[in-house]
Amino acid sequence: MSSNNVEEKVNHASNSKGISLPMTRVKLIMKSSPDVSSINQEALLLTTKATELFVQHLALSSFNNGSGKDQTLLYSDLANTVEEKETFQFLTDILPKKILVRDYLKLLEENPIEEADN
Amino acid sequence: MDGDSSTTDASQLGMSGEYMAGSHYVLQSQDDDGDESLHDHEEGNGSKENFREQDIYLPIANVARIMKNAVPQTGKIAKDAKECVQECVSEFISFITSEPLKLYLQKFREAMKGEKGIGGVSVTEGLGEELTDDSFANQLPAGIITADGQQQNVMVYTTSYQQIPGVQQIQFS
Repeated sequence: MSSNNVEEKVNHASNSKGISLPMTRVKLIMKSSPDVSSINQEALLLTTKATELFVQHLALSSFNNGSGKDQTLLYSDLANTVEEKETFQFLTDILPKKILVRDYLKLLEENPIEEADN
Repeated sequence: MDGDSSTTDASQLGMSGEYMAGSHYVLQSQDDDGDESLHDHEEGNGSKENFREQDIYLPIANVARIMKNAVPQTGKIAKDAKECVQECVSEFISFITSEPLKLYLQKFREAMKGEKGIGGVSVTEGLGEELTDDSFANQLPAGIITADGQQQNVMVYTTSYQQIPGVQQIQFS
């Protein structure tokens, strides 16, 4: 496997209109996972492209799923899509549904929960 | 101050200031220090810089542009939606990096007990039910290089132009 050849192809793909995300930054994020030491160029390219596809997929799903008001994609659309679709389940922790404080307090009043020390 | 009007060049190299200003997140370390110290540690014992993974995002301008291209022409995107997709993206990258790795390590440990070589792990196999969506499965068939017996584990994803159903195992000499 000639790595020079691969690198050329990778650079070509990122310079042409194929990729619009910075691969150096993607690499940084990948490296933040424990136990990962080095990353193959092809793997990096694949991951970057996959990430792009992911953004499109998430944006479009949420948009279509959304409230339809003013044709705007809102945070709540994202939160709803993440909860409903199995594909996006891994995002539930970072995309909680937003709730107004007064609604939450009302909820607490109706269902008193014992405060546990977590 | 809006991220959309920023040049992508500056924001690609480091965490752009305009991103930090509007949001309620604070990055833990400065741009260059983070990059340099990661490189420094690479050669050594492989310990990571104290870079909290949730602090590293892709530039919001790029993310926003991709989102804009995905939704119909007339659609608009709320600012907090853009920011949150930015976080989701980082989470996604970490997820697809770590999941197959876990499976690989598990197989590696099992194989070390026996003496057989290790088959590679397909990315879709590693991801299991969660992410096996058609749009991903076709793009990411993968092979994993076996470890060379030392601490270094190298993970390789290879594309296959012909549809190889299983996995390719590549040996280093």
